[in-house]
Amino acid sequence: MMAQMAIELRNVSKQRRNKTIGPLNLTLPQGYITALVGHNGSGKSTLMNMLMQLVNPDDGEIYWFEQKYKQGLPLKVRQAIAYVPENSLAEEAYWNVEEAASFRKHWYPEWDAEYLEGLLEKFEVPRNVKLGKMSKGERRKFEIAAALAARPQLLLLDEPSSGLDPFAWKVMLETLLRYMDETGATILISTHIVEEVRRLADYIVLMHKGELLGMAEKDSLFGSWSEVWVNAADEEELAELAAELPGVLQLTLEAPGAASFLTQQVQGVEEHIHHLGLKVIKSRSLELDEILHLWTHGHRPILVDYEKGD
Amino acid sequence: MYEEAELQGGTPAYRSGRRGEDVWIPVQINENSAEPLYHQIETQLRSLIISGVITEGTLLPSIREFAGELKCSVITVRRVYQDLENEGLLRTRQGTGTFVSNVGDAAMAEYKHEAVRKALEGAVDVGKSVQCGQEELTRIFLEIVENKYREQQ
Repeated sequence: MMAQMAIELRNVSKQRRNKTIGPLNLTLPQGYITALVGHNGSGKSTLMNMLMQLVNPDDGEIYWFEQKYKQGLPLKVRQAIAYVPENSLAEEAYWNVEEAASFRKHWYPEWDAEYLEGLLEKFEVPRNVKLGKMSKGERRKFEIAAALAARPQLLLLDEPSSGLDPFAWKVMLETLLRYMDETGATILISTHIVEEVRRLADYIVLMHKGELLGMAEKDSLFGSWSEVWVNAADEEELAELAAELPGVLQLTLEAPGAASFLTQQVQGVEEHIHHLGLKVIKSRSLELDEILHLWTHGHRPILVDYEKGD
Repeated sequence: MYEEAELQGGTPAYRSGRRGEDVWIPVQINENSAEPLYHQIETQLRSLIISGVITEGTLLPSIREFAGELKCSVITVRRVYQDLENEGLLRTRQGTGTFVSNVGDAAMAEYKHEAVRKALEGAVDVGKSVQCGQEELTRIFLEIVENKYREQQ
C-alpha cells in the first residue's frame, strides 16, 4: 500500500453527548510522526477511534491510504494499522503476555515474534502475569510492544506514556524512532508531554474544544514567539510603550524599571525599541508549551515559511 | 548495509555495527537564537565537513536518527542534507545512506580564510564599540599574534 497520505479527513464531524467534534479537515502524510495535542476532552480520542472505525462520523469522509471504506475497513487495511487505546481492552485481562501475543499473531500476517521478545525484554514486562493484574505502566509497555510487533504502517498511540516510568519512557522514544527509521511508517500520537513532542514529532496538530486549530511543522514553531524585557520607569512609560508597540501581548511592569511583553516579531520590535531610545534588557524564545498555550487562546503563531527562503 | 565500494577513496570513519552508530556529529542548537533551526544545523554541519572534522567517506546518521538527536523534525534534517548535497559536500546512495564527499583543497582554503576573516571582523567590532583607535587596535593585534606564535615555538 504505497500512498502519500496515510490518513485524510474531509469535513468529518461527530456529535457527542455534550459537544460536537469537528468539522475536522486533516491530512497525515505517510512517513512522519504527528503529535496530536490539546486539553482533556478536546476530541483527540474520538478522532483516534474514528480512525479505527470504532466510532463512525456523522458527516464527512475519512480516507485510509487514499481510499475510503464506507462499508467497514477491509482486513488488509486493518492489518496495516495498530492502535494503543487510552484504556486497554478488557477482553484480554485474563490472559498473560504469551496468550495475548498468540491471539494477536493470528490477526497480523507481519507479526514479528522475535522483535516482540526483544521489546518485552527491553521494557522489562513481567511474564506469567495476567494482563489485568499488571500495573498501569506494565500493561502500557506490553500494549506498545505488541502494537509494534504487528509491524504496522500506521500506528495510533493514545497517550502511550501515561503510567510509564522515566526509564521505560526513554525506551519507548528510542524504540519508536528506530521503528520509523527502519520502516518509514506513520505515527499519530496524542500526548500531554511537551518533551515527547519535542523528541518525536515532525508535525503538531492542535485540537481545542472539538476543533482542529491547525497543523504545523514542529520546527516552524521554534522561535515564533519571544518574551522581551525592556526598561520602563513606571505605569506612565508603560502606557506610552503600549501605544508604540501595537500587537504585543501581556505588556506588564515586572519590577520598577523593567517591563516585559510577548511578541512574534522580535527583530522588528527590538529595532523599534532602539529608535525610541530604550534598551532591550534581555529576550528569550518561548517554549513549545507556551506557544501551544497561546495558540489555544487564539494567538495563532505566524509560521516560518521555509519555502520562501530566509 | 553499505557496499565496500562506497568507501573507496575515502577514509571510513565508520566500520561496523548499525549504520551511523559510530558517528556523532557535534551540532549544538541555540534555542534562543533568532536564526532558523535548519540554518543553524546547516551552517554547523557545513563547517564540520569543510574544516575536516568529519572526514570524507563518513556515513552520516540517517535522517530520522539525526532528527531524534537534535530534537528537530525529519523535514529540517532532510532539507539540510539536500542543501549540502546540492553544494557537493554530501552524496546519498539509495538504501545505503548519506556520505561526506570530497571537499577539495580550494574549498577548504576558502573556508579557512572566511572563518578567520569573520572572527577578526568580530574582534574589530568589539574594539570600535569601546572606542579603540585604529592604531591602538593594530598594535594590540600584532602583540597578540607575536605572543601566540611565540608560545607555539
